[in-house]
Amino acid sequence: MPTVRLKTTMGPITLELDHEHAPRTVENFLSYVRSGHYNNTLFHRVINGFMIQGGGFEPGMRQKPTGKSIQNEAGNGLKNNKYTIAMARTSDPHSATAQFFINVADNDFLNFTARDAQNWGYCVFGRVTAGTEVVDKIKGVATMRYGMHQDVPDQEVVIETAEIESD
Amino acid sequence: MSVSVALASVELRDPTFISDLHLARNQPRTLQRFMQLAEELAPRRGELVILGDLFEYWAGDEEAAQGIGAVVGGVLRSLTRAGAAVYVMHGNRDVLLGDGFGRGTGAVFLADPCRTILAGEATLLSHGDAYCTLDTAYQAYRRRVRSPLWQRVFLSAPLAIRRALIGELRHFSEAGKKTKAAQIMDVTPEAIQQALRYAGVHRMIHGHTHRPDRHRFTVDGQAAERWVLPDWDLDGERKRGGYLQVKGSELTVTNFG
Repeated sequence: MPTVRLKTTMGPITLELDHEHAPRTVENFLSYVRSGHYNNTLFHRVINGFMIQGGGFEPGMRQKPTGKSIQNEAGNGLKNNKYTIAMARTSDPHSATAQFFINVADNDFLNFTARDAQNWGYCVFGRVTAGTEVVDKIKGVATMRYGMHQDVPDQEVVIETAEIESD
Repeated sequence: MSVSVALASVELRDPTFISDLHLARNQPRTLQRFMQLAEELAPRRGELVILGDLFEYWAGDEEAAQGIGAVVGGVLRSLTRAGAAVYVMHGNRDVLLGDGFGRGTGAVFLADPCRTILAGEATLLSHGDAYCTLDTAYQAYRRRVRSPLWQRVFLSAPLAIRRALIGELRHFSEAGKKTKAAQIMDVTPEAIQQALRYAGVHRMIHGHTHRPDRHRFTVDGQAAERWVLPDWDLDGERKRGGYLQVKGSELTVTNFG
């Protein structure tokens, strides 16, 4: 089980990635970690009681370019429970690229139920093994609307670095 | 410009348009009315669109830390905290509003002009000063203060110096207005037509001239119109102010004062 450590402005978060149940998703995530993509990105969308989302925007809400989208591996048995990490995507089930979110509740409605656009769900590929208190701090920050973006932390929460701790 | 991103087009769901508040110190009633509007708009979670000259002057984003800049910044921030969007276009007075102000308030900048769709019809949004083309002295000044190089040089001066320079500029501007003929201070119809033709649009909303009205005309044989927003002053003798919204398929202006 590879582990990745996020060093954020509100503390460190350690992620254990489930390569067995979400191999392509984990590989995709690790490639963004290795390329340094996640360094200096924000948790740009934070909704208390739901999830904290990041990995896509630099400070100033400048979107970072990403690679190709990946096949959705939800339906792997992993559930969107509290402190799991899953890939963010648009309404297209196979549109995930770099953005991810950490669930701060058991979000059953995000789980896979069928292989179609409405029900494919969001692919869970790991969980937080250290730093849940940091996740809890982040979920509680005050948020604002920023143009089209809702729920943007008004004090930026930055992922300073993301590093592979163990392969 | 002092901003890294300004939108050339924007999606608006429930907009309220204002411009030319020219907020400065010692305008308690105007400021109060602005705060009241913000309070009314917050629960709607729509968009407050400010088409320029929110501030009487802006010497740089340090203005956001104190005085009227801090108060207005706080109002905008409470709007975005409530889930409403704030979009700001630069005017001729607050051309130096920058990323610091934007990030501190959640305001997103609009380019001038900016395109949107209101009640199904493509509409151009502008501050309006770009179309006063007969005022050649003003247009030369406008080109200068909007040039990134000029702005970089200007913003490198200490705040006190910038404020003094702006004070002088305003003095000349007010003195100049007394002698300039009324017609060169208004937008020129040809410039408006050209802007609409170029954008392929038949409706414009702008401010700047402080001559609120709804003007109907034609562009290449097709009906077109431009809405001019009222400027605000609820502290002086001639009380005025208002905002424009979309009600169903119509644009409506609400005036107060």
